[in-house]
Amino acid sequence: MGETITFWVLAVVSVSAALGLVFSRKAVYCALMLGVVMLSLAVLYAVQDAPFLAAVQIIVYTGAVMMLFLFVLMLVGVDSSDSLVETIRGQRFWAVVAGLAFAALVALGVGNVVFAPAAGLGAVNAAGNVPSLAELIFTRYVFAFEVTSALLITAALGAMVLAHRERLEQKATQRELSRERFVKYGEEGLDPSPLPGPGTYARANAIDMPALLPDGKISKLSVNRYIARYEAEEGTIDPKVAEILEGEDK
Amino acid sequence: MITAPTIEYFALAPLLIIFGAAIIGVLVEAFAPRYLRRAVHVPLTLLSLVGAFALVILQTVRGVPTTPAAMGSVAVDGPTLFIWGTILVLSFVSVLLINDEEQFVPSAAAVPGSAEEEKAITEGAAHTEVYPLALFAIGGMLLFPASNDLLIMFVALEVMSLPLYLLCGLARRRRLLSQEASVKYFLLGAFSSAFFLYGTALLYGFAGTVDLLGIRERLAVGGGGTETLLLVGTAMLGVGLLFKIGAAPFQAWKPDVYQGAPTPITALMASGTLVAAFGAVLRVFWVALGNDSWNWEPIMWGVAALTMVAGSILAITQTDIKRMLAYSSIAHAGFLLVGVMAVGERGQNALALSGLLFYLVTYGITTVGAFAIVTLVRDPGGEAWHLSRWAGLGKRSPKLAGLFAFFLLAFAGIPLTSGFFGKYAVFRSAVALGEAWLTGLVVLAVVASAAAAFFYVRVIVLMFFSDPSADGPTVVTPSWATSTVVGFSAFATVALGVFPQPVLDLAEKAAKSLFVQ
Repeated sequence: MGETITFWVLAVVSVSAALGLVFSRKAVYCALMLGVVMLSLAVLYAVQDAPFLAAVQIIVYTGAVMMLFLFVLMLVGVDSSDSLVETIRGQRFWAVVAGLAFAALVALGVGNVVFAPAAGLGAVNAAGNVPSLAELIFTRYVFAFEVTSALLITAALGAMVLAHRERLEQKATQRELSRERFVKYGEEGLDPSPLPGPGTYARANAIDMPALLPDGKISKLSVNRYIARYEAEEGTIDPKVAEILEGEDK
Repeated sequence: MITAPTIEYFALAPLLIIFGAAIIGVLVEAFAPRYLRRAVHVPLTLLSLVGAFALVILQTVRGVPTTPAAMGSVAVDGPTLFIWGTILVLSFVSVLLINDEEQFVPSAAAVPGSAEEEKAITEGAAHTEVYPLALFAIGGMLLFPASNDLLIMFVALEVMSLPLYLLCGLARRRRLLSQEASVKYFLLGAFSSAFFLYGTALLYGFAGTVDLLGIRERLAVGGGGTETLLLVGTAMLGVGLLFKIGAAPFQAWKPDVYQGAPTPITALMASGTLVAAFGAVLRVFWVALGNDSWNWEPIMWGVAALTMVAGSILAITQTDIKRMLAYSSIAHAGFLLVGVMAVGERGQNALALSGLLFYLVTYGITTVGAFAIVTLVRDPGGEAWHLSRWAGLGKRSPKLAGLFAFFLLAFAGIPLTSGFFGKYAVFRSAVALGEAWLTGLVVLAVVASAAAAFFYVRVIVLMFFSDPSADGPTVVTPSWATSTVVGFSAFATVALGVFPQPVLDLAEKAAKSLFVQ
């Protein structure tokens, strides 16, 4: 009875989370939905007398793989979204048709099966779930288990090949960087000092506040171009800043 | 108390040598100084392949084992040993190509076309990791057709594919194309692996085991109300396997990947992977699902017909030499599938199996030779990939163009080339079954071969009967390794075309015992 109730509750939770995963536009929501699906699966495994699988599901998939997904999302940028422009016309429509047809086929196929009641689970788990699994992994399936190591080595090696960059020249020292700045100052007149920072006032401390020169004028170098352009489009730009920018452009 | 498993180390020795050498290769990457790495990798890789081949021969001589090894995981039987020998020879020549020329990117992490890449080229940087990666892929290829249960077959599938996904993205020139090929192959490959896995799960639901022999026994019993699981499971498993051999409608990856990958890797994939995947197809459909053949044969018939027609027709429209060879490979996969359906009683199975094994040998060797020649015809920006650049090559470099023409004729299956006897052996077994539906497919295959011959001949005409352009591609002087590969392929193609009997006998002997059942 308890198993049935758990199943129906989790079925609703996991299927709606899976649908949310597919239809959500934001990558972070997708990742969290995936986490919900994985946790529901773990509980289902536990109810099905597979405690080891349930623990592994939570530790490895939800705990490690899921977090890795999130890290990658953070690195790429939470706000970045995929381009949803179809490059092949009508592709999405036909993908949906094919997907639904496939789902219907599998549902009909598997739904037509008459399952005999599960037999032998108690006998297999008699020695304990984990020892029984260990026996299978280290006797019947030991070769598959060992060969998996080749897969892991390949993955590590591949990550190194694709991502590791050898430093081909010495890293520039502080002294060299400083020299380079002054050479540029001499040749092109570039200021060797850093750009003036944004302004700091009693009531505001933000990157869109321009720094003031000693005579009270705005330093153009401290104005962030991108923010200024955004503000100009939104119409919220400080008129003084706009004046400075326009004056210099011409 | 768990009793320790028994591992037949001698039977598994070829596999263990390859995987061991790959791991030593990784250690070389970690500890050997940069200037020594290539000098260590090349002999290590080649010697391990030779050693594994010697062990395969030794096992054949000492008698083929009749029971699966490693607790029933790996079936080392007659066909397996023949396939292992074939894969090892093909890998050996492919590794010679990999070693031969700077085909690989100096620094994969550098952005294509950046100053950093330029710098890496001038510094002479190189990814010597390709050797251990290739060895891992070869290890997977050996394990894939020898797997005796679906679980280890899935692991082998991944061990074989993962290094190939990586290697595809490491071409030195046209790098964006190469990276695109790699990502495409990876995504589609992962997708097809998921199908394979789902099919495995459903077959487990049907049979209560993932053991190929267990599934066979369960099929012999029949009944139980779970037949739909068998059907859906078979279909999904089929999708995963047919993707790997590039049968239509799962062929879309093949031209893109063959075109983008570094040519030596394309040679390895077109020969070794195809042989390995066909071994696995045979094992699944003959051993596990052999008693269910009336269920999968109609679908396989359609797939085979579609594959050879699509491969032959689409090849005609190609302008890229590597894409054309990829479509030719698709068409050949279709011809091979004809043999998969020629099952009947024991003698008939042995006949079909020996035909398929022989075809795989001839096609693999010819393919490696053809791709080796592709590496030699160069433009300033890399290989001369556009077909129009090959115009008039026969007047400038008659020897090379002649050899390429010869390989193309072998693909077409002209008599006196190995391709003829390969096709003949497979089609003969299909006709010998005496079923009208299969004989009809053979007729279709012959027609498709004729259509395919059209585009092979078109290339030959282009090479010999059109005038070379003034700024045509240069033909580089081949290194000893490439010369060896081309020479070996040409020799084998002639020898198997004129005097195929020894290899046919060997294939027959290997096929006689059939798969372990």
